[in-house]
Amino acid sequence: MSSDEEFHQAADEGPQPEEHAGHGRGGMGDDVTRKEDKRFITGRGEYVDDVKKPGMLHCELVRSPHAHARIETIRTDPAMEVDGVVAVLTAEDLLAYDLATMPTLMEDTQDVLVNDKVKFQSQAVAAVVAEDRYAATDGADRVQVSYDTLDAVVDAGEAMAEDAPLIRDDVEGQEDNHIFTWETGDENATREAFEDLPVTVEEDMHYKRIHPAPIETCGCVADFDPGKDKLTVHMTSQAPHAHRTLFSMVSGIPEHKIRIVSPDVGGGFGNKVPIYPGYVVAAAASYVLEQPVKWIEERSENLQTTSFARDYEMTGRVAATEDGEIRAVDVDVLANHGAYNAAAQPSKFPAGFFKIFTGSYDIENAYAHMDAVYTNTAPGGIAYRCSFRVTEAIYLIERMVKVLADELDMDPAEVRRRNFIPKEAFPYESTTGWEYDSGDYHKALDLALENVDYEALREEQQRRLENDDDTLLGIGLSTFTEIVGAGPGKQCDIAGVEMFDSCEVRVHPTGKATVRIGVQTQGQGHETTFAQIVAEELGMDVDDITVEHGDTDTEPYGLGTYASRSTPVAGAATAVASRKVRDKARTIAANELEADPDDVEWDRESGAFHVSGAPEQSVTMTEVAAGAYMNSPPGEEPGLEAVNYYDPPNMTFPFGAYVCVVEIDRETGDLDIRKFHAVDDCGKRINPMIVEGQIHGGLAQGLGTALMEEITYDDLGNNTAGDFMNYLLPTAMEIPEFETDYTVTPSPHHPIGAKGVGESPTVGSPPAVVNAVVDAMSHAGVTHLDMPLTSDVVWDALDDAGLARDPADRLSVGGPGEEGTADD
Amino acid sequence: MKAAPFEHHEPTTVDEAVSLLASVDEATVLAGGQSQVPLMRFRLSTPETVVDINGIEELNYVREADGHLRIGALTRHADVEESDLVADRYGSFADAAPEIGDPQIRNRGTVAGSIAQADPKGDWGSVVLAHDGELVARGPDGRRTIPADEFFLFPYETDLAGDELLTEVRVPAAREREGSAYRKLKRKVGDYAMAGVATRVILDGDGTIETAGIGLTSVDLTNSRAAEAEAVLEGEAPSADVFREAAEAAREECNPETDEHGDAEYKRRMVGVLTQRALADAVERAGIPVERGRAAQ
Repeated sequence: MSSDEEFHQAADEGPQPEEHAGHGRGGMGDDVTRKEDKRFITGRGEYVDDVKKPGMLHCELVRSPHAHARIETIRTDPAMEVDGVVAVLTAEDLLAYDLATMPTLMEDTQDVLVNDKVKFQSQAVAAVVAEDRYAATDGADRVQVSYDTLDAVVDAGEAMAEDAPLIRDDVEGQEDNHIFTWETGDENATREAFEDLPVTVEEDMHYKRIHPAPIETCGCVADFDPGKDKLTVHMTSQAPHAHRTLFSMVSGIPEHKIRIVSPDVGGGFGNKVPIYPGYVVAAAASYVLEQPVKWIEERSENLQTTSFARDYEMTGRVAATEDGEIRAVDVDVLANHGAYNAAAQPSKFPAGFFKIFTGSYDIENAYAHMDAVYTNTAPGGIAYRCSFRVTEAIYLIERMVKVLADELDMDPAEVRRRNFIPKEAFPYESTTGWEYDSGDYHKALDLALENVDYEALREEQQRRLENDDDTLLGIGLSTFTEIVGAGPGKQCDIAGVEMFDSCEVRVHPTGKATVRIGVQTQGQGHETTFAQIVAEELGMDVDDITVEHGDTDTEPYGLGTYASRSTPVAGAATAVASRKVRDKARTIAANELEADPDDVEWDRESGAFHVSGAPEQSVTMTEVAAGAYMNSPPGEEPGLEAVNYYDPPNMTFPFGAYVCVVEIDRETGDLDIRKFHAVDDCGKRINPMIVEGQIHGGLAQGLGTALMEEITYDDLGNNTAGDFMNYLLPTAMEIPEFETDYTVTPSPHHPIGAKGVGESPTVGSPPAVVNAVVDAMSHAGVTHLDMPLTSDVVWDALDDAGLARDPADRLSVGGPGEEGTADD
Repeated sequence: MKAAPFEHHEPTTVDEAVSLLASVDEATVLAGGQSQVPLMRFRLSTPETVVDINGIEELNYVREADGHLRIGALTRHADVEESDLVADRYGSFADAAPEIGDPQIRNRGTVAGSIAQADPKGDWGSVVLAHDGELVARGPDGRRTIPADEFFLFPYETDLAGDELLTEVRVPAAREREGSAYRKLKRKVGDYAMAGVATRVILDGDGTIETAGIGLTSVDLTNSRAAEAEAVLEGEAPSADVFREAAEAAREECNPETDEHGDAEYKRRMVGVLTQRALADAVERAGIPVERGRAAQ
């Protein structure tokens, strides 16, 4: 069978591991211990800041304390007087190399160093290069910048006002702060449906600005070698090849003279997809000074200046029948993009995949309208552990389903069931133009509800209300659909490069293999998972396979790891490349077995070829490898390797059903997440342990979003959450013990039936938490609370709903019945 | 750590430290460094000289002597957290210690350093205020004892002179029918308080509150004292209604501001809630049983 045929039949006839634990050599379905962990656990990981080169200089950026200000003068001489300072760069210096600005992924142009006007707080205005980081910081302290401050606007709504200060006077023809209007769906049909239907609900919600906050901040070591005319940049990159192409486009250095290395990366979550000024400055400084230059962000620089996520103010409206059938959904969005339109999203749509806002539901009328605006805040709008705005879309529809259920006084589980896209409808064409590949939403929800004993929880909730308990119980559901695995190349590109991905498999003479992939890991476990795909397809032991990634000089071109695209795209490329190797191996095996290739069969269990009907006449892949190099068949090229560049025919659509159970302290508004149960379906699971780990991590981040994380600004444009004292990340102390379960609905178009998974929990969990908190108070009329659900926000809602209590209401001093009790 | 350049001194005696402080301008005392080091790292604090007292072993103690609980200037939060003496007799200290920062911070940060830092969000100031405590300082002119009520002037500003070293924190030794407690609300583990309340009660023979002390965290320019609430309690038999009345007084006299830790009205309300809870704890520890109802808070 050719690999093409196998590709098309993959999901049906390919490996069907379900819970069968692979073939014993670390193939599909095995909980293989992560290969990368030895070096991390023993402190031998090599991150960008571990890279040290002879003669290496250090770069520190001088940043504006103001959010909106015109630069009058910059005096660099005092900095040059500091011992150890080698150079001070300003926009003027960069202009000479045409590097004062750089393009964003949304066709905007961003200052590398500010030439004229600062547009957000902590924007870089100068750079000091010195022999060590202390001298660089001392020098940065002495650069004197005089500013003419301007009124700042940080709120998207205020930025749209007529008298709002104009932020982008550098953009020709720009007369206000409006960036774009985007709409999707059928406005008229949706409006008519709203007029015709008996039940309509509406809710305003702000998905607040948050930050990916990877534990390793961004940084690079740029090293221009004048002997080879080659620029090598070790950098915190989620997309090394795409960054190489962009570096070449911006700098004019030919692409083959640029090498990007993304070594061990300590978390990305989308934050390491864009190019930041520090990278450009370090590269320019190295080019000019002909010495390596290191630039490493501080924590506060990372939080204050690198790409944020979300910041959508949304109004959702749903129209339904009286028995809860949703017939129309209408959405209005005001999107705060910050000072530049620099969203890192490669789709053809300005709002990314937001148009998946019909979620898991079969809704015939849908319309969304969006305005995006500039504000004096850091630019961004990246996909923080999600696929390009799917998080905002799913939050909206999952919240609206709960709002509708409360309006109808129906169980939210029942409203969901009534509106789910039925299993039989897949592949399903959605109203907004997606083709959902596969799903079984009822099954996932039923499993989740059964696992948590939903009926008992509802009874307990009722009992507590009747007893006027001091804590309220809330049960929140989220039955989300993700959309991951960008491309297809015709729908998604970075700087024109279509979003395929790649794999090269090389089997060596001794039967071991080196696998090079176009994607890059920041903690996802590629070195293990991708080795398992090859082990599965070639019958090899997973320990005999090394996966390499992150070096553009050696890896095949790829578009990087984000948006849960690695397994859907590069994982497919890996399977297809492996199958190409297997096709060739069959010819070699036939030669070894002295049989016709058509009479040679592959046996997955033993990982060997044998003559049809004679299983005792077999050769293993190790023997085939030896044959490929030492006994190559006549007319066949020696060697055993293959490359595949895979352009996916469609996205994959993982899904899940989450149940969150909260208890709320009526005296303080303090939330306790008593239970969080996650049922995920990511199709075929390659390494269930890694899948579980990804889900745990994503849930922690989703709960952080729901409970505490928020980037805030004051009216002057000061970032008031620019460090970990005020940008609150959850710790093990705030995160409950997660319960997980799964269903398996393979993707029909993916060679091994897999979908992405890393981001499902970040997308799916915030609405589950908010729905739970609202659920605890919905009997008193509460319909919505904006995240983060800090105790003051919850308490305000309790107080407004008349649910707040004082300790004295329940205390009795001296024991019950004694004198001086609360019952007096 | 990218601090501005500074000189680092490591005295081994209090005398040496005090003479160092007197001999240089712009000196900063470094104890646990949990506030000072971040300030220097952000260059918000750029002292020319750092007098590092970590080598002064004589300042490391928690003990009862001469009618006081005495805590030396080098005593870490963790030392208080792990002290049997504190666990047995000083409920407020035992409550507050594990609520501070995280284990790393508690292993390094000191009680006296936190008090000298005078962050209104610090916990120890409220505890010491509730206990009518005192701060002992040494300067070039010798030793001085400062009542806690007179110590905290403004945010990050105390009655200590630049050449004085805070050497001891002390509160009156616990009496027979005394109980104390500390309750704190924070956004997450390791965070400063949105609001905190320290309480101390001493009961007389018939169970009436003879003395009451209430210290508040994060709801004024400094750690503050809820004197009106104390007055409500003194001379009354403890009851839920009295607690409620005291809580109302405390709510009235505190002065919170809206900030990243929460909105002012919420903090004010929480002063009330925490006052009631901490009073219940303190009264119970003084020997009167308290039923807490269904919430078991």
